Amino acid sequence: MSRKTKNAVGSIIRVVILVFFFLLVVLPIYWIVITSFKASGEILDINNLTYFPKEFTWQNYTDLFEQFHYGVLLKNSVLVSVTSALVVTVFSMLGGYSLARYKFSGKQAVILFFLITQMIPGILVIIPLYIIFSRMNLINTHLGLFIFYVTVNLPFCVITMRSFFERIPVTLEEAARVDGCTKMQSLFKIVFPIMFPGIVSVFVFGFIGAWNELIAGSIFISTPEMWTIPVGLKTLIGKYNVEWGLLMAGGVMALLPTAIMFAVMQKFIVEGMTAGAVKE
Amino acid sequence: MKKKIEPWLFLFPVLLILLLLFGYPLINSVIMAFQNYKLTAPNDIYFNGIENFKKLAGDPDSLMILKNSFIYVFVSVIGQFLLGLILALALKKRFRGRGLYQSVVFLPWAFSGFVVGLIFRWSFNGEYGVVNNLLAMLGLTDTNIAWLGTPGFSLAVVIIAMIWMGIPFFAIMILAALQSIPSDVYEAADVDGCGTMRQFFQITLPYIKPTLITTTLLRTIWIFNSLDLVVIITDGGPANTSQTLPAYMYSKAFGSYDFGFAAALGVLLMVILGVYALLFLKVTKYDKAGDF
Repeated sequence: MSRKTKNAVGSIIRVVILVFFFLLVVLPIYWIVITSFKASGEILDINNLTYFPKEFTWQNYTDLFEQFHYGVLLKNSVLVSVTSALVVTVFSMLGGYSLARYKFSGKQAVILFFLITQMIPGILVIIPLYIIFSRMNLINTHLGLFIFYVTVNLPFCVITMRSFFERIPVTLEEAARVDGCTKMQSLFKIVFPIMFPGIVSVFVFGFIGAWNELIAGSIFISTPEMWTIPVGLKTLIGKYNVEWGLLMAGGVMALLPTAIMFAVMQKFIVEGMTAGAVKE
Repeated sequence: MKKKIEPWLFLFPVLLILLLLFGYPLINSVIMAFQNYKLTAPNDIYFNGIENFKKLAGDPDSLMILKNSFIYVFVSVIGQFLLGLILALALKKRFRGRGLYQSVVFLPWAFSGFVVGLIFRWSFNGEYGVVNNLLAMLGLTDTNIAWLGTPGFSLAVVIIAMIWMGIPFFAIMILAALQSIPSDVYEAADVDGCGTMRQFFQITLPYIKPTLITTTLLRTIWIFNSLDLVVIITDGGPANTSQTLPAYMYSKAFGSYDFGFAAALGVLLMVILGVYALLFLKVTKYDKAGDF
């Protein structure tokens, strides 16, 4: 084969692969979106499965808000996710700075400790926490859930933040100090602005981690007014009856914020995820 | 002196939170594994030695659940690894719209297990599911398959969902590693008349090996511990044939409120993961994975 034909064959294979993965991702998403716009009669029509709604309807969405009080779930999820992500971001900046800029004995042990926390099954921590939270009256409160989400999302975010700090040359900070900046000034005026995309992606990691969480939420929260989105939607899955129309609409609504965040921040998020793993 | 305290001062909030809310509960869990601890009988809590572990060994389902977990983890990791690698290789070369393409193809990373579980549970529904419909249209089947009601198939659906969800993570990691390979290495290989296949095995693979090892290790652990897909798609059914260890723990702890038994399961899970991590690092001769 000549070089030219070899390249052409290579490009065709690449296009086929890219199309395959595109369809692989898009088709399931298409399916949930399209189902959410069907009337329940059409969804449960055994003999006639439609690939596009015969009758396009917002019914599932209006039912979701009016009968299922989705607004309350949304408010709860936003509250818990935003506050926990904010706290995670601030603490990660502190911890990440320490691990990136200082040499001290015990540093390797701290990093190993973070790695070990990633190995522990979440459910093994949730069981005793349930008892501890019960004693402290934190069961069925957003505070309890907030504390839990901060805890589980911290290790990964600290390590990610560390690698963002490591990318900024120390000399930059030192130059600012020579020019008369205090440590805090050099951080706030020089380092943080450069790191802004990194800081935002750590926030997104914290947010998505809390927003998507189901198991701890359904264990710690019991009353409907306190439900987060996944916890509330899960109750639509009954033993004998599943409210598919409502579930699909709820699922789409749950995906939207994270999908938008990801699409907008893709470049930085990808950088954040890989920053620690791939040393350049 | 001040210099020595400073780094710990910055780390203090993180370490305090993790020790209090991760470390302390964990110690509690390990103790609980050796106790008769049922939430239904809060006044009857006492140490019972290795009773919970004996019960675990005598549980007719536990061997099957252990086997399910291994199949689930092994097939999911291999599937995500291979598909992620293929996607990353296809994305290596720049093309117009690559950023946009990545925003779509990497999306499942940002999705919750809960919604992904819903999508697959709905698609593989025995009566109204799109998968049965497609298979029938292609002439591959003439009766509906009860995917989620058939032992074997139900676990397969969970695995498919897990693979779908995890491809982006592998692809992102591998792509980043691929992009860090200096291009002149390939140019030199080209000049030497080194073929595509040989380039892949002799240049690309060795270069990205550390990333492959770290990613696979982290992902294996993560998949082993994850339970929301199982809980949403099959809830372990039918008759525990798609149950995995952490999902079983969940149902034992918050379905039958046997915290002691659930904790024993958790200790078993941790031991398996610990042994796995050590063996994995030994076999791959990799000692820097602690660096993430």
